[in-house]
Amino acid sequence: MLRIEHLKKEYQEFSLDCSLEVKPGCVTGLIGQNGAGKSTTFKAVLGLIKKDQGTIRILGKDSQELGPKEKQELGVVLSDSGFSNYLTVNDVIPVLSSLYQKFDRSYFLEQIQKFGLPRDKKIKEFSTGMKAKLKVIVAASHGAKLLILDEPTAGLDVVARDELLEVLRDFMEQEEDRAILISSHISSDLETLCDDLYMIHEGKIVLHEDTDVLLSDYGLLKVSDSQYEKLEKRHILRYKKESFGYSCLTDQKQYYLENYPQIAVEKGTVDEVITMMIRGAEK
Amino acid sequence: MKGLLIKDFKLMKNQKNFLLLLVLIAALFVFVKDISFVITYMTFMGTLFSMSSISYDEFDNGNAFLFSLPVTRRGYVIEKYGFGLILGGGAWLIGTILAVVIGRIQHTDSITETIMTALIILPLMWIALSAVLPFQLKYGGEKGRIVMIGVFGIFFAIGAAVMKVAKILNIDLIYVMDHLPEIHMSVLTMSSIGVAAVVLLVSCKISISIVNKKEF
Repeated sequence: MLRIEHLKKEYQEFSLDCSLEVKPGCVTGLIGQNGAGKSTTFKAVLGLIKKDQGTIRILGKDSQELGPKEKQELGVVLSDSGFSNYLTVNDVIPVLSSLYQKFDRSYFLEQIQKFGLPRDKKIKEFSTGMKAKLKVIVAASHGAKLLILDEPTAGLDVVARDELLEVLRDFMEQEEDRAILISSHISSDLETLCDDLYMIHEGKIVLHEDTDVLLSDYGLLKVSDSQYEKLEKRHILRYKKESFGYSCLTDQKQYYLENYPQIAVEKGTVDEVITMMIRGAEK
Repeated sequence: MKGLLIKDFKLMKNQKNFLLLLVLIAALFVFVKDISFVITYMTFMGTLFSMSSISYDEFDNGNAFLFSLPVTRRGYVIEKYGFGLILGGGAWLIGTILAVVIGRIQHTDSITETIMTALIILPLMWIALSAVLPFQLKYGGEKGRIVMIGVFGIFFAIGAAVMKVAKILNIDLIYVMDHLPEIHMSVLTMSSIGVAAVVLLVSCKISISIVNKKEF
């Protein structure tokens, strides 16, 4: 569906080198802090910025060949851009229906009504949540094969976030080979939705793992200095000095549970894994 | 392309008060009996009006989203020229009709004369659009507007200079224009429309390469 290989983009104080893949039928998450390179990656995929090096294949074509025909199959949400704030939902309908051959007007209106979005108010009068919902509804309303969503849940409260994730789940259920690439700096958003996760830090992918594996096999070991000395370090990905000793990130939680029953092993949440991958030192 | 045009017309709806004011002022000038001014004014204000759509697009980085829709950069540029021509042309048509009607009522100008005036203004509008759009697309709505004022300034300066030179040489330009045989006038008009069309095409090509180089 989407394959990025060593996408490189150099800015004065930032350089991106990103590889990732989104498979049909999968929801892939890209997690990283603000400024980690998520939006740069998305914009390069969409041809909004020029890449310096690397290849991007999207919907079976090189991204440079991405024309209006291919874009019909894409639904896009950008974190910092959208329809003009001076338009209303009613204004947007004829625009979408002439741009997208498969625009589903009745689905669009149904969702607009479901989320209580006013049709004749200018978008600039919408709340952050309403704007975000409109963006996602627009992306999901024209039978796209691939959704590319950059921070679609940014600034939303928990309820609004769940509602949006529900729209995305429905989108995936409608057809088998659809796919989503979604980014967020809030990992809990992605934990429940994504099949696999990429973590990006300072322009580089630092981890790629299936969400299930991440939640079941990754763990944090809290050990004292002496315990750390004796610890088998083969399965330790990162460690960090703490007041009590060391925190260690492992991708073989079970191994330590079985062999070191005296050690405190915490279940890894995506947030903890990220923090350790970024802040921890490599062994 | 059609989608973008619809978007621009919907955005223009936001400025309907400005549009109304435009027509009102034009109507006032009718009483001044300067018919050619009514056409010029309407045409250039209509063209100017179309430019604001570029500012709307770039506001809040809206361009990034626009180019993620199924449109090409080339298509976007062509749409902007199209939109300028539609609005400018529409205003020109209204101005001309207004001028013809008033001319008939007041028995001031003949229809042929009014239409001739209108046909001279049309290519001028195209050239103004050709001069301004590449700047607007390169530097954005705000800076582009400053350039536009500059371009109109140059037009007026050239006009004033021609008048001045003519005065020095003791040529009465208005007399010359009025007494040009009609056949010459129509050749002049047609060729200026032709030249303006070529300028418009060249300008459009330049704009496409400007937008192709942009990052959003």
